[in-house]
Amino acid sequence: MDQPETRHSLIVRLKGDDYERAWFDFVAVYEPFLRHLVTRLGVPERHAADVVQQVLVAIAKSVDGWSDDGKAASFRRWMATVARNIVIKFMNRERRQPGAHGGTDLITLLEQVPAAPDRAAVERYEHELIIWAAEQIRAEFVDTSWAAFWLTVIEGKSVKSVAAELDISCGSIYMSRSRIMARIRKKVDEVLDQPLATEGDG
Amino acid sequence: MKSSPAKCDQQLLRDSLDDVLSEQQEDWLEEHLEACTACQEVLAELASDAEGWSRVESALVSEVSGTTPLGRGMISTLVPGNQRGLPGESRIIGRDVLPADFAVDFLEPAQEPDSIGRLNDIEIRSVIGHGGNGIVLKGFQKELNRLVAVKVMAPQLAASAEARKRFAREAQATAAIVHPNVMPVLTVHSQSQLPYLVMPYVDCESLQQRLDREGSLPILDVLRIGHQVARGLAAAHAQGLVHRDVKPANILLERNVDRVMLTDFGLARAMDDATLTGTGLIAGTPQYMSPEQARGDSVCLRSDLFSLGSVMYAMCTGRPPFRAQTSYGILRRVIDDPQRPIGDLNADVPDWLEGFIDRLLAKESASRFGCADDVASMLQRCIAHVQQPSNNRLPEAVQALAGRRSVSRPPSVLVNLRGYVLPLIGVLAVVVLGAIGASGVLEPAVDPAGGVPGGDAPRKTVEPSAAVPLEMPSQRNEVWHDGVSEELSSLAAELDALLDALETNVDMDHQTRN
Ligand SMILES: [Zn+2]
Repeated sequence: MDQPETRHSLIVRLKGDDYERAWFDFVAVYEPFLRHLVTRLGVPERHAADVVQQVLVAIAKSVDGWSDDGKAASFRRWMATVARNIVIKFMNRERRQPGAHGGTDLITLLEQVPAAPDRAAVERYEHELIIWAAEQIRAEFVDTSWAAFWLTVIEGKSVKSVAAELDISCGSIYMSRSRIMARIRKKVDEVLDQPLATEGDG
Repeated sequence: MKSSPAKCDQQLLRDSLDDVLSEQQEDWLEEHLEACTACQEVLAELASDAEGWSRVESALVSEVSGTTPLGRGMISTLVPGNQRGLPGESRIIGRDVLPADFAVDFLEPAQEPDSIGRLNDIEIRSVIGHGGNGIVLKGFQKELNRLVAVKVMAPQLAASAEARKRFAREAQATAAIVHPNVMPVLTVHSQSQLPYLVMPYVDCESLQQRLDREGSLPILDVLRIGHQVARGLAAAHAQGLVHRDVKPANILLERNVDRVMLTDFGLARAMDDATLTGTGLIAGTPQYMSPEQARGDSVCLRSDLFSLGSVMYAMCTGRPPFRAQTSYGILRRVIDDPQRPIGDLNADVPDWLEGFIDRLLAKESASRFGCADDVASMLQRCIAHVQQPSNNRLPEAVQALAGRRSVSRPPSVLVNLRGYVLPLIGVLAVVVLGAIGASGVLEPAVDPAGGVPGGDAPRKTVEPSAAVPLEMPSQRNEVWHDGVSEELSSLAAELDALLDALETNVDMDHQTRN
């Protein structure tokens, strides 16, 4: 690799102002998730930005395959699908050859992305997305609210016993956990650009 | 349906999910949800359909139980726990990771049997705590025959030039203050792979830990702790340093000794430090933050006095003065809402102390006491008064505050909140940025010239400059508060600078690899 591709040079590939803006929005939402993902896959911290760039380049290249129907929103949704497929490909590859990352040229590999990945792969992708979303929104909530959500929803304890344990009311537990759930859903859907757990349309 | 305070209200449930309820509405809804199972169900449905609830649940469950194929045993900040780690750095240690695993990565092999690794001349014995900013270790320096606490920056932060700068600043700032009520820094290593600083190891707990355990504290303790914190602040202020992050987790109580130490000058900033002012990096909870900080305005020495007031309020009542479920909600209350009168929550607190704390919590910085030194002196005389009322009268200035339980709303309360919302979002964006460290997430910002994207501009692909046009419905432009776009563009410039720093790091990394 001669030079790191920067986000700036990615934009040049895009066709018009609307797409440029859509791409910016897309990257703003997608890049943090990619970063979470590649580090979870074992890419060392100092190479993560690099690998994320490569994945973004691969996604940007796929713009050539986009046929314009004039709507920025559908462009975004299409992007999200392409991105998902590329990332799933990347995840599969990393699983087969752990540690083969960083300097390798992903792009050739990523060009052979299958149109519709299997259900298990999609689920694993969504799993990563949910973990990432939860980590992203964690800091928005105070410890007690988070504990109320965690203990009743994830650890399956009764609302009553958690209310006693945390010394808060049952009412506040219902409020906290729904608020947290709504935030996680929103964060996930931003990246997915379609409702969680619907069958991938390829 | 069982009896409930009033009719069910779906709009209220929606607003609750958007976190836009007033404190009163929130109290009402909390009470209503206690009994109304219908609303409990509707609220859950509004948050997500059943499929979504179960997907999120199963993802988090499998993550925690370690059955995920992708899970790499990374430190999770998601699992709630009781251990609060070292004062000033408290976050939860995930169940999936042993602290020692985190530590071995950068430690050299141990030379002593009871040590888990070595960092230069320090044998590391245990992990005291860790959080988003780094890890705190307990170590022993053989040559000097002393125990030390070592604060090591988190690897993801060490990659960011800004974070390294901040770390070096903490060290410089603290080294400049020599005072019994300020935790000293012994040595600093800011150039090592992971920067770290060495402090004396002190057998202590944080005020946060004590509040968690005991709730409110006896009046004499409130005064003693408040007095010593004020002394520590006065020493910092004498150097022109604003602490900016005074909160119970940053106040250490030495065990068996009546000594209080202020720590964690990570956000401290010289008043005249032009290069760094206003970047507004905020770590952790904003519960003790002053209104000017919450608005993203510049801070002054009196900002620390507001935070001291919040800490004293928490000591009197067992809870911080401004509470909400989200950081955004807290910031809003800090700016706009009066705190609940202390007397409502703890009738044992004397009028004059409540008045004293209210004065510290004045929304306008000019209405607070003049300086930390004055506050310390007054508190010292209050202590004498409480110990021996017959021999020591209250200071007149304090006596005058008794019975003035008027917590006046700021005049701006009816002014639209809109002017605050955007700066707030800016603050929150930076909170997130701080939390994720070097990941380089940048939002597109508003064109300061106010150009409407996609208008007459030639349709061509351009290299984006510092200000990137953001799609914005034009009808909203009209109602935007003056000055907002200015603030946003200055935020954008700061973010750009941060991006440049990050890109420089990536470049350097490339050079070393090629
Ligand atoms: Zn109801």
